[in-house]
Amino acid sequence: MIDYILKRILQLIPVLLLVSVVSFSIIYFAPGDPAETLCTGPDGNVNPDSVEKFRDKMGLDKPLHIQYLIWLNNLLHGDLGYSYRSQKPVFNHIKTAFRATFKLSVVSLFLSLAIAIPLGIISAIKQNSPLDVTCMVGASLGVSMPNFWLGLLLMLLFGIYLDLLPVAGYGDGGDLEHIILPAITLGTGSAAVTARLIRSSMLEALGQDYIQTARAKGVSERVVIGKHALKNALIPVVTIVGLNFGYLLNGSVVVETIFGWPGLGRLIIDSINIRDYMMIQGCMVFVTLLFVLVNLIVDISYRYIDPRIRYETAG
Amino acid sequence: MNKDIRYGVIGLIVGAMLLASVPSVSAELFGDANEDMTINMQDVTKVERMILEYDPVVASADANQDGSVNMLDVTCIELIILERVPFPGGHLNTVMIFGPKDTLDPANGWTGWYVRKAGIYETLFKYNDEMELTPELATGYSQVSDTEWQINLREDVQFHDGTPFNADAVVYSLERVLDESNTRSSEYAHIASVTADDDHTVTITTTAPYAPTIASLTDPLVSIVSQEAGASGTLDTYPVGTGPFKYDSNEFGASLSVVRNPDYWGGGVKLDSATLTYVSEGATRAMMLQSGDSDMSRGIPYPDVGTIVGDSNLDIATKETLRLYFIFVNTEKAPLNDIRVRQAINYAINRDEVVDVALEGVGGVSARGVFPSIFPWANDDLAGYPHNQETARSLLKDAGITDTNNDGKLEYNGADFELTIMTYTTRAAMQPSVEVIETQLEDIGIGVNLELAGSTAVKEAMTDGTYDLAFYSYGVAPSGDPDYFLTHHFDSTAGYKENGWIRYSNDTVNSLLASARTATSQNVRKSYYDQAQEIIVEESPEMFIFHEKELVGYNTKVIGYEIYPNEITFLTKNMYIGR
Repeated sequence: MIDYILKRILQLIPVLLLVSVVSFSIIYFAPGDPAETLCTGPDGNVNPDSVEKFRDKMGLDKPLHIQYLIWLNNLLHGDLGYSYRSQKPVFNHIKTAFRATFKLSVVSLFLSLAIAIPLGIISAIKQNSPLDVTCMVGASLGVSMPNFWLGLLLMLLFGIYLDLLPVAGYGDGGDLEHIILPAITLGTGSAAVTARLIRSSMLEALGQDYIQTARAKGVSERVVIGKHALKNALIPVVTIVGLNFGYLLNGSVVVETIFGWPGLGRLIIDSINIRDYMMIQGCMVFVTLLFVLVNLIVDISYRYIDPRIRYETAG
Repeated sequence: MNKDIRYGVIGLIVGAMLLASVPSVSAELFGDANEDMTINMQDVTKVERMILEYDPVVASADANQDGSVNMLDVTCIELIILERVPFPGGHLNTVMIFGPKDTLDPANGWTGWYVRKAGIYETLFKYNDEMELTPELATGYSQVSDTEWQINLREDVQFHDGTPFNADAVVYSLERVLDESNTRSSEYAHIASVTADDDHTVTITTTAPYAPTIASLTDPLVSIVSQEAGASGTLDTYPVGTGPFKYDSNEFGASLSVVRNPDYWGGGVKLDSATLTYVSEGATRAMMLQSGDSDMSRGIPYPDVGTIVGDSNLDIATKETLRLYFIFVNTEKAPLNDIRVRQAINYAINRDEVVDVALEGVGGVSARGVFPSIFPWANDDLAGYPHNQETARSLLKDAGITDTNNDGKLEYNGADFELTIMTYTTRAAMQPSVEVIETQLEDIGIGVNLELAGSTAVKEAMTDGTYDLAFYSYGVAPSGDPDYFLTHHFDSTAGYKENGWIRYSNDTVNSLLASARTATSQNVRKSYYDQAQEIIVEESPEMFIFHEKELVGYNTKVIGYEIYPNEITFLTKNMYIGR
């Protein structure tokens, strides 16, 4: 097990290197000059002297590969660099933004599971009933509805017509009141996907011989479904939920922007807008790391769901 | 679906609607006995009439909020009028577009704009709501010599941390900006030194005669900060200024909260506190206003203006700003090198239609010159280019551009006359405006290719000289001084890139602008700039289309708000919640 984890972590290194090279070159070749962008005020005016000085100070006049190597060297020393704009450590910004995104991700994951699990199970048990059809049509709608549209509709309904929840904002450090609408907006899509998946893998499990055996020996239907079928149906579900959680943790640009949520997605988009290379690079590495780690945790969790899965490296 | 479930859902929705329709208890302006949303001596009379039972008692008459209306309330109202008791101005929720993302230090980049809008910091001089240069923390200035400006400071001011505002604080605050390590220090390269003459006098020495010296002190970058707070290194997380509001709390990228500064030098601050929330999405800002989550929202998108005006509790405040939308012209490229062709295009553009169609009639005002009429430096005698297709056609004819083959399109040198207009789309008004202009030019037979690109690509084309026209947007006077825009764009001896883009040179304009930069009398300067603008409009190296209007949505219970055209001042001591 330890061997397996170590091996997975070692595999991370080439992935991270590749991601950093690719993102570094993409932002570098994208039009726009960070010095000029950052020295442009809210009024849209640039002072050429400031631009020159800035370029010089931040080492932007050096060739691309040198800039990259300097950055990599700092990274190996555990230093993600300093934001061009604030001149403060990139890591501090990521930490603050990630806190907001993490909160939102956990709540929306919870919401999406709370919707998906009962819906999926009910649809599987009552296969082809009107209830099943309704649920699955709803799920299709949930998948295909664009985030921003759903977000605006929820704002209109709960914020303005019903006046039950605040339209947007971060409130007092992301309080429950302010988190509900963005969490529903984010969670709906993954709830729909998860519900469909639970339904199909439950159906598969319910058709297995051991379910018949269980029923034959007189086990109650509740135990048959809850213990025998559901547990066996969970493996693909955990994979998808894990992946979804990975996406959620990377922050949603759209949802965070329309709800004014100061998370990772907005940090990334803001940094891209002002060409804050250091911040973009830092965020990319962080997001990649997070995604791979979530996947690793998902892989490890299989073992606990299905003890037949082993990760011993072959002889 | 099961019937029970269906009724349950309907019941739930109806219940929620009923719950929502219960009128929420609105906050009272305690002391406003006659409910006219102000507190004055009439309220004293009103309370006395209530005590004498001539008039029915209302809740807002209970100024001291002890549950009964009696003579104590009369005293309390009188104390509020005398500013001995804080004005019960309430809490203001306002939604802004941009806010601080990583620091609260005004000397860092453009953070100063945000903390000034929150009422925390002040500068030595400011522009009032009429865009006139007025003293703020200074009391006045005198020009000692060509390069020396002596500034007198207020003596009755203290910082939020209790330390006194004095010449040392001014020297300290300016030197933070002048320091080489500050990314914007080169904008203050005209200042050679700042010295304290005595406790309340400083002298600024410039490297050369520079008329806009005092104007440059209005930029929130040179906000005056507490030296003690600066020395302890906490200004980037805990701002300490002299403004009407003190810092309370902040969540970077999300919100900033301030509370009343009870010791404000400018007199009683009416609001108890305020929260500024930062939301970059326009539709969200409008909805927050409609739902009551915010009392004010800046930057209302044009399509939402109608809904907000139609709501009896809401309204839109609007004022011209110093942001200009205009067209860069490549004056070296034939036939645009012909002044008649440029004038013809100017006449062919119907600015009122651009405003009515692209800005839905609310987002701007047609331009006659560089500066909007609210700006004291505007040349009000400029006629600009009223829409006139006949004049346009005859000017083009004089320049040899006519419809020779009667196909409805104009020809130049035997080929269809076509122009490319480049623009970028980061500002919402760009694309719709340029599309209206496109149809207007096509109306008189000019073929138009619209090219939407990133602003970097547009700049490249302008630098290379491969463009015809480029539709652009600039703030025309960030420091409130007219020199900046006119010199950058039209003085061919100054070497700025904007002038390089239009490739325009006129010796008279050059010498007028040079004289204006060093002239010290405001009237003389104004006459130089007036003459220069007249030539520029006439020769059309740039075409001025419209001045943007700021659209602020507000709840009518908010009293005392004024739009400042330079967008730097927002929260003031005079604002409060009226009911």
